Parts: sequence; structure tokens; C-alpha cells
Amino acid sequence: MAKRVDVAVIGAGPAGLAAAIAAREQGAENVLIIERAEQLGGLLPQCIHNGFGLVYFEQDMTGPEYEKAFMDRAVDMGVETQLETMVIDLDEKREITAVSRKHGYMKFRPGAVVLAMGCRERSRGAVGIPGTRPAGVLTAGTCQRFVNIEGYMPGSRYVVLGSGDIGMIMARRLTLEGAKVEAVVEIMPWPGGLIRNEVQCLHDFGIPLLLEHTVSFIHGEERVEGVTVCRVDAQRQPMQGTERLIPCDCLLISAGLIPENELSRRAGVALDPVTGGPVVDQDRQTSVPGIFAGGNVVQVHDLVDWVSREAEVAGRSAAVFADKGRAKRTAGIKVVPGKNVRYVVPQLISGAGDVTLHMRVKEPGLSARLDVGGVLKKKFRSVRPSEMIVLDLEGEALRKSGIKGELVVDCDTKGSG
Amino acid sequence: MPDLETEVLIIGAGILGAATARELSRYKTDVTVVEKRADVGWGITKANVGVVCQGRDTLEFRPEYHRTRLLWRALPLMEPLCEELEVPFIRVGGWLLIRDQVKKEKLDKLARRTESLGLGSDKYYAYSELRELEPFISPEIKGGLHDPEIAVVHPVYLTQAMMENATANGARLMLETEVTGIEAEHGGFTVRTDQGEIKARYLINAAGEWVDRIAAMLGADDFVLFPIKGQVGVLDRNCSELASSLLAVIPEEPGDMNIVVPTVEGNLLFGIQLQINRRHDRSTTEHMTRLALKNARKLIPDISDKDVINSFCGYLMFRNFEIGWHECEVAMSERVPRFINMTIGYPGVSASPGAALEVVEILQKDGLQMEPDPKFNPHRKDIPDFSKLSDKERAALVKKDPRYGHVVCRCETVTEGEIVEAVKRGATTLDGVKFRVRPGTGRCQGGFCGPRVTRIIARELGIPETEVTKAGRDSTQVPLRTKQLLEKGGRDG
Repeated sequence: MAKRVDVAVIGAGPAGLAAAIAAREQGAENVLIIERAEQLGGLLPQCIHNGFGLVYFEQDMTGPEYEKAFMDRAVDMGVETQLETMVIDLDEKREITAVSRKHGYMKFRPGAVVLAMGCRERSRGAVGIPGTRPAGVLTAGTCQRFVNIEGYMPGSRYVVLGSGDIGMIMARRLTLEGAKVEAVVEIMPWPGGLIRNEVQCLHDFGIPLLLEHTVSFIHGEERVEGVTVCRVDAQRQPMQGTERLIPCDCLLISAGLIPENELSRRAGVALDPVTGGPVVDQDRQTSVPGIFAGGNVVQVHDLVDWVSREAEVAGRSAAVFADKGRAKRTAGIKVVPGKNVRYVVPQLISGAGDVTLHMRVKEPGLSARLDVGGVLKKKFRSVRPSEMIVLDLEGEALRKSGIKGELVVDCDTKGSG
Repeated sequence: MPDLETEVLIIGAGILGAATARELSRYKTDVTVVEKRADVGWGITKANVGVVCQGRDTLEFRPEYHRTRLLWRALPLMEPLCEELEVPFIRVGGWLLIRDQVKKEKLDKLARRTESLGLGSDKYYAYSELRELEPFISPEIKGGLHDPEIAVVHPVYLTQAMMENATANGARLMLETEVTGIEAEHGGFTVRTDQGEIKARYLINAAGEWVDRIAAMLGADDFVLFPIKGQVGVLDRNCSELASSLLAVIPEEPGDMNIVVPTVEGNLLFGIQLQINRRHDRSTTEHMTRLALKNARKLIPDISDKDVINSFCGYLMFRNFEIGWHECEVAMSERVPRFINMTIGYPGVSASPGAALEVVEILQKDGLQMEPDPKFNPHRKDIPDFSKLSDKERAALVKKDPRYGHVVCRCETVTEGEIVEAVKRGATTLDGVKFRVRPGTGRCQGGFCGPRVTRIIARELGIPETEVTKAGRDSTQVPLRTKQLLEKGGRDG
């Protein structure tokens, strides 16, 4: 028999934990986290590097430390967890179908649901790298799991494609393990991850970063024997005559993350084609009443701290919904990405109450001037697509401005970053 | 001294070798199959898109062609065979489309021929009508001939099922056994392999890509094969609504081919056929990838590169030009008695049950005593597919075996129970498991489940994880333990 649940959270990563805690704090009595893995924390247990918690705790923590802080709080607050349990269906009436070795086949009909499934990595197939199909081609996150959790090394000589944060962090990690990382290859003219990772993981270890380059061919029959690396032109197409072969036995792919929204789709949640995540309002409610979302399932964040913050909003709103049994629908203003802005989350705001806006620019630039519909203006020394911009917008200012319908966010820059 | 003696030795465990082994396992005949790869169906069978072709094309399927006769013989056998072996067979129907109204004449001719041959009930639809059935087809398409009989199978599943059934009925399968030389002698053959010598009275050459090389080891027949390379892209299952049937367009130039095909798993495949290529080279290229996508979009403009989750290359093996692209070889060698060559080229999967029957008849005609085995069991139970079961069936299965409640692959909803069963049925590698129960075929391509499947394989086979391979031999997934490189004294290179 299904237990009564006020708020069900799908996923026990940083987003799921923060959402569950916030839901309890908001007064939801029965909060249940459903997690498919063997332990809580999502990917945090395998992120043994530091750099976590600088915003949230104002402390430099490792992934496991950051995870523990949230886990302890969740336990203290009486959040229930069900591990090794896979949610295989979610419908628009919020009915959850899940299965586990221990509990068998289950159904839940919670008062509200928080989606916190995180994201997945783009694979070789998704990136479309030509060549043969040997062993030794894997994503940086999978490699991280093998090395940090399972205790195995996929190879001894690596090329990393993509300068995403996990790729750069793994380049350092593998070097510390005695492996040789020949190069990190990035197709764009700028790195795909945080500057601090470029410095601390690549420069400090003498690992070359090849910007405007790509891997144009994978060689090897059984194991990877090498990759062809070449320059790309302005259209990101390989340039003939610039190819060179780099011998290696492993290719790591760190070419971007995709929010994991299969369940959201099943429930009929509307997705934003740019973020790949649900369209959410100020309360992180999706287009389906009573289904909320937070963290990387909504938009890929660069810092876990923002994941936690965003998920807290979703968790609190879910608790309110479960209590009142209806949506406090924030009909109102549509936030529209304008000049040089790729996306803004949330996509809908109420026009009342303070709201934090998350956004990314399309192109990097210096002396950036960000203009949120004339309500808020802010200057930045530089902006880059790889660094999310987080802005607090005061409800009072918004109300005074009298803006209705649309709020356009523009970003003007001088020169290139 | 031979290490093994057998009556009939089949070289190659692709779809032809497996179909023949299964057909022979109906008799009390001693049959052995040798396969150089770590699993069955991994040669040219693996890259086949699995369309059960109807053989109605006037040019490609003239009644005088041997392969046309094999195909027509095999067609009524395919569905019952799939039922007996519990492998999916789905009649998706197929469209032959035209982009140019002038080509309508060709479609009319094909429709008349199909009708006269009794091969199906083709019907022409103009774009305005076909749009109702396939709403995503490009408006550039003028119309198309619809054949509701066209079906799809999974060539590797079918090969595995036939081989499993053959071994359950007494056939012997030796994997990772490569033939290195053959001597014909009075009354039989001595086959040298990297696993020892095998003596056989009859030899069936179903070596797929290498069938001519095996024939050459005996100086039997001097046919040459021309490998025609093709590239196939795989779309995420989210795109399954883009096409519900096989879509193909009448080639605008000779050799031009492009198709969109639904698979039994719900993914769409799209592909191109290219030209003669160096054999064995299965590498994809930037050019082919772009061309395949471009061609697929001529059929369905909505196909996005974001939805491509994988791509691979394969071959069609055609015989000598002088005989024609369209001929096949399923016959006893004229020069070497008791040596039978099997190679079809196109359509190998569809014609395979016909070819297997023909080989049995050739053996009987040659005087091999073949007594039906009363213990022969034609049925084989499939591995339960958790993702396709109803709520009630799932609950019952998990109750019976809790390992079916442990979902290991999230994209394809594959459970530990299925993976363990795949290993029990002969999978020894990651690809072996993947091609039986699908973990790693989804949108994350094994990113999540890879380490977990590796662990289960190691546990079930009782080997260290460092020895688990992707596809046999040296294709280890994680060759080293952590700290091992540091112990060896740091970086190499």
C-alpha cells in the first residue's frame, strides 16, 4: 500500500536534498526523497575536489563535505529517503510509479512533486565524433565515477574533448593518478568551464588547452590508439591541413550537460528548448500544477550552491501547494532573453515579491551592462557564456516600474572577452 | 590429432551461420559453429538495419536470381520463426516515396508487379493523403507507394535466439575461435583455428565479410566480394513519432540510397549507402555523417542533430560485377566437394531462413544421413523485458526475483535481473550485454550504467573488473586499478 506523502522529491542529489529540507522547513509533514542510486548525494560523492559551498556556506568544501552538511540536516529534520528506487513513471496527476529490489513495485500519489533528477553528459554519439568504435571513449563523469568511486582507471594516456568543468577537473585528477593528459581540446574560442578550473586544473599542471580545436577522428580497433586533433574555422568546422595525431589510450568527453527530463516529459511538463529544462515560474512550478523543479534538471548550473538555492525555492513552494492543495499561480510577466542573452530562468515571474534571476550570455564580452527591462541595471567587468549570472530583483522595484506582459533582459558589451 | 571432430562445421555465427545451425539442430547431426568474435551476430549482421524486405523491386529481384528465390522462400517463414523464438517482429509497413511526379510511373509498375506476385497489397498515396499517415514527411515528397507487409526485426536478437535455440538442441558453439587454415583431405577437412584443430566432414562457409577469404584457403571458387559501406545514425526514442514506418525514396542517381527505419525498440535509424570501400574499416566520417543527416532531412525535415545518439558503419557484401550486383552464393563448391559457401549480400537478414533450408537440402542431396531428432524443441524463451511489461507483470516479476526491481540502465529501464540473465545466456562483454538487453543503447550511451554493468559482468563471470571488455580481446573497459600507475613509477610517455 502506498504511504501518504505530502511532498515527493525525485532525486537525492544536491537539488533533491535542499528541496526536501526546505519543504520540511515550510511545514510539510511527510517528505520523501526517491533515489535510484545506492546512496544519497547524487554526483557529490564522486566530486572529491574542493570548490563547493563558497556561496552557500562561505567555506571551501569538497563534494562529500557539502553533501554531508545537507544529509545531516535532512536526517535531523526527518526527511524520509528510499534508495535504490527507480521512478519509472510520473503522470500529470502526479502519480509516481517506482520500483526497487527491496520494496518491489510501488505507486505514490503525493500532494506535490519536486523534480530534481539533475542532468546527464553529452556522449560521443551526441557529439558525433567520427572514427572507429574502440573501448576507451567515455564521458568525464563516467571516468570520475570509475576513478573516485570504483577505484579503476580507464587508461594511462588521455585526451580530453571539451573544457567543461568536469573535464578540466578530471584532467587534474588523472594527472595526480600518474596518468598523462596530452591536451584538453575545446571547439570554442573560450573555455567551457570556470576560469578557476582552467587555472587550477590545467595551467597549474602544465596541461595544454587547445582552443578552437576539435577531435576529428578516433583511431584504434580494440582500444583507442590515438585521436586526430585539428583546428576549426569560424563555423566550427575542421580545417584541412591542420590535423595532427595524438597517441593516447583514452578519450574523455566533457562536451556539455543535458537536463534529464524524461520523467518531466512523461508528465506533460512543458520544456524550454534553450535550457532543456522545464519552463518554470517564480516558485519553480512547472506547467503542470503541483509539479515543481529545481537544480540542474531546470538549467545546468556551474556552482552547486545555486543548485541548492534554486531547489529550496521549489521545495518550499511544493510544501505550500501540498498544504493548500492548489496552485498559487503566478500569472504575470514573461521574462524574455534579449540582446546577447541566451536564456533567463525563471521564465515567468509574478511581478510581486523578490526574485532571483539566473541567466547566461551568448557571447563573451568586456564592460558588460546588463539591463533588466529598465527595472534593474548592473555592470560587469566581463561576461562569459560559461559563467552563469545571478541577479536579485526586488519585488518593490518591479511593482513600481508597472511592467506588465514582458520583461526583456539585454546585455551590452564592449569588445570581446 | 584433432582437438575436435564434428560432422558439420559452420564458420561464422552471423545470421546465416546461426540460421543454418538452428535448421540443422532439428536432426541428429553433429554440428559445430566457430566464430572469431566474442559473441554472435557481430559481423555484418550487426550493422544491418533489420528490414524484412519483400523483394518486389523489378530490377533488384528478378525471378531468375537465386537470391530472389531464397527471399521469396524465406518470407512466409520469418514471422513464425520470430514467434517460436520470442524475438520481436513488427509489421511497420513501408513507403517507397517519390520527389518527382515523373517517377510515379515506376511506382505504378511496382504496384502491378507486387500484385501479380502476390507479395503484398501496395497502394499509392499522394502527398496530401500520406501526410495523414506520416505527418512529418517532407512536403517536397510528391507521393508514395505503401506496403503494409514490410516488417522489422533486430538482426542481432534473431541471430542470438537462433544460436541459443541451436545449442539448446545440441549444436556446439565456439566463440573467439578464428580459422587460420583449412586442408581438404579424403573424406573431410582439417580446420586449423587459434584454439586448435577441428576435423569436419562438411564445411559451411558463412564467414560474412570474409567468406571469400575462407573459400580461398581451399582454392574453392574464385569469387570476389565487393564491400559496400553504409553509415547509419540512431535517433533518440523521443523522436519515434517522426516516422511510424519504413521510409525510402526512389534513388535520384544510381547507388544513391537513403532511408528512415523504425527499430523494434522504437528508435529511428537513418542511413546512407556509399560506395565500395576497404573492407573491415568501420569508421564513420564527418562527410558521411553530414550526408546521412542531409538525406534523412529530405524525408523528414524535423530530424535534428541534437537527437542523434549514435552512429555506426556496416557493409553489404556483393559478389562479382560480371555476375551482377544482385546474385548470391548459397551452393556447394564445384571444385571442393562438401564445401558450401553462403553469402547473400542483400537482403541477407530477410533471406536467411530460406538460405538455411537450402543448405539442409544440399547436405541431404549430397548423401549426409540426417535423421530428425524427436527431442528437437523449436521454442526459446526470451529474456523478460521489464520496460515492456504491464504493471501487473512487473510487480509479479519483481516479487519472484527482486533483481528485476533494480533498474541499472535508466534510459532504457533495464534491470539487474535482465543483465544477469544476458550473462547466463552467453554474454561475456559489455557489448554482449548491450546487444541482448540494451543497457548503454539509450541517450546517455552507458554514461550512467557503464560502471554498474561492468561490475555485474565481473561478478557473474567471477573475473576482476579490469578484465571486463567492451567487445572481447584487448578492449578492456578499465584496464588498471587506481594507484597502479603511481606504483609503476609515474607517467608513461
